[in-house]
Amino acid sequence: MSQLGKRYRCTVCGTEILCTKAGEGVVVCCDKEMEVQEPKPLPSSD
Amino acid sequence: MNTTDFLSIANAICPDRDCIVFEGKRWTYVQINERVNQLVNALTRLGVEKSDRIGMLHVNCNQYIETYYAAAKLGAIFVPLNFRAKADELAYMIGNAEVKVLFVGNRYLDMVNTILPQLPTVKECISVEGGAALTYEDLIRTASSDEIFTDIGDDDITILMYTSGTTGRPKGVPLRHNAFVTYVLDNVDPASPEIEERNLLTVPLYHVAGIQAMLAAIYGGRTLVLLRQFEVKEWMGMIQREQATRAMLVPTMLKRVIDDPDFSNYNLSSLKVITYGAAPMPFEVISKAIQVMPWARFINAFGQTETASTITTLGPEDHIIEGTEEERQKKLKRLTSSIGRPLPDVEVKIVDEEGNTLSFSQVGEILARGPRVMTGYWKDEQKTGEVMTSEGWLRTGDMGWMDEEGYIYLSGRADDMIIRGGENISPEEVEDVLHSYLKIEEAAVIGIPDPEWGQELRAVVVLKKGEEATSEEIIEHCRSKLAGFKRPRSVAFIEALPRSAMGKVLRKKLREQYGQS
Repeated sequence: MSQLGKRYRCTVCGTEILCTKAGEGVVVCCDKEMEVQEPKPLPSSD
Repeated sequence: MNTTDFLSIANAICPDRDCIVFEGKRWTYVQINERVNQLVNALTRLGVEKSDRIGMLHVNCNQYIETYYAAAKLGAIFVPLNFRAKADELAYMIGNAEVKVLFVGNRYLDMVNTILPQLPTVKECISVEGGAALTYEDLIRTASSDEIFTDIGDDDITILMYTSGTTGRPKGVPLRHNAFVTYVLDNVDPASPEIEERNLLTVPLYHVAGIQAMLAAIYGGRTLVLLRQFEVKEWMGMIQREQATRAMLVPTMLKRVIDDPDFSNYNLSSLKVITYGAAPMPFEVISKAIQVMPWARFINAFGQTETASTITTLGPEDHIIEGTEEERQKKLKRLTSSIGRPLPDVEVKIVDEEGNTLSFSQVGEILARGPRVMTGYWKDEQKTGEVMTSEGWLRTGDMGWMDEEGYIYLSGRADDMIIRGGENISPEEVEDVLHSYLKIEEAAVIGIPDPEWGQELRAVVVLKKGEEATSEEIIEHCRSKLAGFKRPRSVAFIEALPRSAMGKVLRKKLREQYGQS
């Protein structure tokens, strides 16, 4: 199941997507399930 | 992608989270998106089309952000105006931008009414709080909240921001959607249902740092806590009450916070990130801030309007002075005078007067290139040619040097701009006002060091033969014609201004002789 607000990355082509509505399906790119990205540590300069 | 997607994404991920907190009122992301859509529909009804300019003259408020997003959703260009500007300065900016719809805070209505007859492009003047024929809330109350979709290109201009120039009049800097999108996607985590951050915004939204912080907050699904203007106790109280995790301060503000006698009476421990910039940070201020707020991570962000804000950062790790004595000295030096390293999407180089790239440790002008750098000034090819090279490099006007690890150190302005409390001030603009005083033969304005504001203005004045004048009367003359922050605070009287063979005033010489506070 895809997760709301999570970023997914394709380990083959590098595409990143952001889930803005969760659903039952899995996210696939280049014939592979995309990996969930962890949030970066806190700082950004804003 | 464009900046309107930031709001759509956060609205999809955390619709019920507070988006804006302002003067005791709270609006969730859903509510803000609805109000923005209502304004989009209302503006469409008023005839606003893609690329039209929409001006805003007000202090920070929720309507400011809503109006930006409404303009962006329409593909229109938002023109945030410096609320400290005087009538003549405003008339110039509004006229130059050819603003079609102007939103005005109550406190500025009278002034705007005096200049409206000179501004034929302004078709509608809307009062943000009420008090004029057309008011903001009336406008949106009757409007639909249906989404309107406009075809917006990455390279379309979203903001036209005016910045002080060295040759008098403010210059319009057109900023593209892509300039902000690139920064935000590279540096900010998107909204998440699990992570809740709250950003206290006091930097004015007419300043590019305020706009950047606002856009980053919306994309990040953060709660934006707004203050109309910075007031130290209000700021500390708001951090404590709202448990703010982030704040941006110019050095003058940070100094007031840590020097306030009531500092220790407030609980500011929720603050995780404090960003500072816009002016040189005195070492004693940042070192004390680190000491009294050990829970916070500090970031020095450097940039300018022409680069859509931040291009280099001195990160939290650079604010921790530890290691061997050699490492400590290196870090101390960086903390004292470095603006950090360029962000990954920005190219930076240091060049000499002929444009040759300099090697490490050599002082030259800092140039920047990348998707966030403007392509030129608004309707001003001459000034564009002065700052943009044919290869797309922007001459920042700042002098500096780079060490072998890529840290950049500032060593002054290439031009003579004065920066007071984070505000750029053109000496020429102030000099024009001084020259209008009948007793003054000639005048120059220089910046002098000031512990509170970074720099203060000093007028160096030559009186006409036989005339006598006091400092007070000259400062008083400026009071009615210039924004308060541009007013000289001291006057030096001399016999003649030092000039080059070409007749140019030698400001460097003036600074050497009269530049001490």
